[in-house]
Formats: sequence, structure tokens, C-alpha cells
Amino acid sequence: MIGRKAELLPPEGVPIAFEISSAGSRLGAQLLDILITFGGMFLLFVVLIWMGVFDWGLLATLFFLLTFLIRIPYYIFAELVWNGRTIGKRIVKIRVVSDNGGRLTPHQIVARNLMKEVEVFLPIATLLSGQFDTSLTGWMLFFWMVGILLVPLLNKHRQRLGDMIAGTLVVDQPQLVLMPDLSTRSATKGNGFVFDTGQLGVYGRYELQVLEEILRSRPQSLEQTKRMQEVARTIVRKIGYQQRLLPNDYWNFLNDFYRQQREFLENRHLFGDTRENKFHDVKAAGKET
Amino acid sequence: MTKTNASDMIRSARFRAEREASWKRLEGLVAEVEKSGTAALSYGQALDLASLYRQAMNSLSVARSISMDKSLLLYLEALCARAYLVIYAPQESITGALQRLFVTGIPQAVRRSAIPLVIGFAAMMIGCLVGYLLFQQDPSWYFTFVPPELADGRAPGASASYLRDSLYDTDTRDGESLGVFASFLFSHNTRIAIFIFALGVFVALPSFALTFYNGVLLGAFVALYAEAGLGPDVVAWLSIHGVTEISAICVACAGGAKLGLAVLNPGSLTRRAALKDASHDAVKLAILAGLMLIVAALVEGFLRQLIQDMWLRLVIGWGLGLCWMLWLALSGRNRESGQ
Repeated sequence: MIGRKAELLPPEGVPIAFEISSAGSRLGAQLLDILITFGGMFLLFVVLIWMGVFDWGLLATLFFLLTFLIRIPYYIFAELVWNGRTIGKRIVKIRVVSDNGGRLTPHQIVARNLMKEVEVFLPIATLLSGQFDTSLTGWMLFFWMVGILLVPLLNKHRQRLGDMIAGTLVVDQPQLVLMPDLSTRSATKGNGFVFDTGQLGVYGRYELQVLEEILRSRPQSLEQTKRMQEVARTIVRKIGYQQRLLPNDYWNFLNDFYRQQREFLENRHLFGDTRENKFHDVKAAGKET
Repeated sequence: MTKTNASDMIRSARFRAEREASWKRLEGLVAEVEKSGTAALSYGQALDLASLYRQAMNSLSVARSISMDKSLLLYLEALCARAYLVIYAPQESITGALQRLFVTGIPQAVRRSAIPLVIGFAAMMIGCLVGYLLFQQDPSWYFTFVPPELADGRAPGASASYLRDSLYDTDTRDGESLGVFASFLFSHNTRIAIFIFALGVFVALPSFALTFYNGVLLGAFVALYAEAGLGPDVVAWLSIHGVTEISAICVACAGGAKLGLAVLNPGSLTRRAALKDASHDAVKLAILAGLMLIVAALVEGFLRQLIQDMWLRLVIGWGLGLCWMLWLALSGRNRESGQ
């Protein structure tokens, strides 16, 4: 269920993948929004009544207008002003995007939020109030409401009905982390480890990127060091590396291997020989026969 | 650890070293816009944002084909995604969007939705007729339809003078409580209208049923007064706001019906695409219903209490109806033909 992606095609023509938000974070954002709007209104009235500047007639007018405004209009205005993010969504770091790669239009925002009354508020209020009769219609209503609440869990992009009508997706806000380039860190001074084509031809892109994750941080604990050494020994065995290797050199060995392996694979890739993983030989052999 | 010099680097590392500074600059600009909006940028920065965005997109496309550095690819993808969301943000001014909505959007949507509107108004009228006829057959039906809190003593058997008093309020309310009443009506009715609209997606039946039920209520109510010889008076009492308010319910129902019809009969499209297509007009109908309900609440809250003359009530109510008709029928005509 985790890690679903949706590819959008911006006008520039380079597809970008967005992570579809999990049902949990969407529920969290919705609950936060409800808490913020209703809680905010409650606090406002406590303060207003405490200050006592307004009389009851004005307070009642304000109350009726606000109970209306904090339902649908709040979500529409928030998503219009903050480009697809209500306060709850900002806290949970999710946002609404248009599924056609264009900009989010006011129409889409209004459409998806108008459906909220039936899709979110009605079922939640009814189910939480606990007052439903056990007659046939009562049960049918109950199942119908549960069904509506389950719609986002049952389709590929976790869209609720409003999202489908408006053509919108709710995605995670992409996080920016730029790690240093591992190939520019050369640990060995002078005597580097050198590998020949045969040795570099064993692995593919997948193994390279797993190695990248291992090399991101130097092992700290004894256990991490052991694991790193085991990786190095496995690589030595698999590629048939002949020279003697001291345990102290394992880290440098892996770094050198990563750099040369990446250069080799990227070159092969440019020449049209993309090696996805270590089974590339099997595939190539299969094609020839 | 020492950094290798540029000539030593492998191709994809050189690619990154050459462009990293511009990515970082784009990252800074994007962060600034996310925090305080595009308006916070200077002219030069705004220009840079656009060109740096295009460069980053280009980098992403190239990196996908030459680099196997996973962290770099993830970073570029996230950077492009963030920049894309900043650049393709809604940029219409609110007044411009509203003007377009009122001058062309809503009237054209209404003119395009004849069938759903017929369904919406038919639901109300048939309901009204059924309510009226059933009441005439047997007044005890009234208790079946009308919940007691809504009836408020206005039930079969009530004296004609009591009914007359309920139409022509004699106790004078001050302006403030009228405002409370109007805001309550608006808040309450708009929720019902949104409800009727949104339920339409379930093949239009719930919208139809709710509107029909509202019609039955109305019919029974009118019949009750007609029996007491107050027919014209109750029509006038209802007309002053009802022409707008009841039409708004019908329009909301029409919006729901539009969605329901798209689900029932999607034609050559998939249901999802048909629903998306229909939503453009349907949402405008819902906005129109909301707008009409604001006006109706003001009229019901203030004018109906302040104006006690039957003929004036009729004139205001139907005059208002005529205004809606004129707007919806005439506005945005020439632009329609121009498109």
C-alpha cells in the first residue's frame, strides 16, 4: 500500500513522479482541519463573549455565518490561496495537484470540495453520532456511508469521488535532499584499487544503487562495520578479485569499486547496453539463442 | 579524503559539478516563493526562476539518461516537482475569475443544461402537485410529510385567524433579530443545496428524491392554507423569497442531475471522463444555487417581515425571478458566438 506513484507530464515534457499520499496522512490532515476550524471558532466565541463588546444578536449572526464558512468555503479558499494546501495539509506536508500536468484551476478546487459535504462531513458526523436504527434502511445507510469513506482506499490513486470529478490527486510534498556525489570522493591516495572490464561486467544498475546506499555513511558501530566487510568480501568473491585485501582497506575498496563500476555502467548505457541488474548476462544470452 | 579535480571525474559527476550551483539557486528561489509568494520576487529573480526551472527540467531529462547516481536523480526530480508546483500555480486574479464566472460562465452553463434543469424543476413541481392532491384527499397526510418542528402549530384544524397571523407577522422585530434569522436561513439552506447537489453523483436519484420531498412539503403547506381560504395570501408569502429560494433548490438538483446523468449515460467516454466533463457546468449550477440562496435569505430575513402587503410581496418575488431569468438568458451571448 505504501509508495504508490503517479506520473504527471508538465508542459515541459519531462515526466515527474509524485508520491501519492497515504490514507493515514489524508485522514490526519482532514482531522487537523476540522480541529483547527471548529476549535478556532470556539476560541473566537469564548474570547468575544468574555470581552462582551457584542450583543447576542450580533454574536448569533456571526455564529450562523461562521458555521457555514468553516465547512466548504474554508477548504476552497485555503486551497485557492495556498495552491492546493489547507492548513492541515500544510502541517502533514501533502497537497492537491491537477492530474493533467497543468495548473490547478479554481474549478477543480471548487468541484472537489463541494463533494466534501457528502463524502466526508455527512458520513463522519452520522457515524460518530452513533444514532442509527437497526432497521433495514438503517443498515443500508450505514453500509452506504462506510462505502463512501472507503472509496479512496479502493482505487489506484487513492482519489475520493470529488477528486475523480475534479481530476485532482493528493500527493506528498516532495522533499529536497542533495547528497554529495560519491564518485568524487576518492579515499585512496596513490595506490587505488583497479578493476578490469570482466570484473566490472558482473553487476548492474540495481546493485550499484544498493552499494550507493551502503556507502552513504561510514559504518559507526561494530555491527555496521561487520556488515560492510561482508559486502566487500562478497564482491571480492563474485568478481574474482585476486589481490590480497586487508580488513582496513575494505571501505576504500568499496569506494573505488563504486566509482569504476558507475563509470563503466554509465558508459555501457550510453552505448545502448543498459544493465538493469546482475542478470543482464542471462538476458543477453537468452536473446542470442 | 580529498576531492578529485575536474578532469579526473567521471562523466556524470562532471555533469553534476557544472550545474549544481544553478540547482541550488533554483532551490533558494523556490523556497522563497513557497514562503512568501511570487510577488516577493524582484523582476530579475522572477526571470531567473523561469529559466532556471527550464534548465533543471533539462538536467533531469539528461540525468535520467546518463547518470546512475540515485540520490542525484531523486533530488532533481523533487526539485523539478517543487519548482513546477510554484510556477504552475493559479495566477488568475480573483476579481477576473469572478467577473468571467458571472458574465459568461454561469449563464452559459445554465443554457447548456436544459435537460437537468427540467429534471430539477419537474421534481419540485411533481412533488408539489402530489403534496397538494394528497392533502385534499385526506388532510391527515399532512402529519406524515411535515415534521412537527417545521409545522409549528400550522396543522390541519388550526383556525383561519391563527394561520392568517402566521403569514402577516404583527409583532415587530427589530433589525438585529432579522439579521440573525437571515444568516441562519442562509447557512441552513446552503448546506441543504450543497447536499442535494453532491448527492447527484449517485445516479441523480437522491437529489431527485430530496427535491421531490421538498415539493411535497410545499404542496401540503399551500393546500393547508388554501383550505382556510388563504390561498393567494400564502402564495404571496412564499413568493417574495420562494421564487428565488425554491428555484435555487431546483438548480442545485439540476447540478446533481447533470452529474448523475453523466454516470448513467456516459456516451462514448468512460464514466470517469464523462463525470469530469459534466462537472464544469454542474459546479457552476451549484455556485448559482448558492448565490440565489444568499439573495433569498436576505429577502426572507428582512423584506418578508418588513413588507406586509400581499401585492407588493408578489411583485417583489416574481420581479426578482424575472431578473434571474433575464441575467441567465441574456448575459454572455456575444462571447458565446465568438468562441
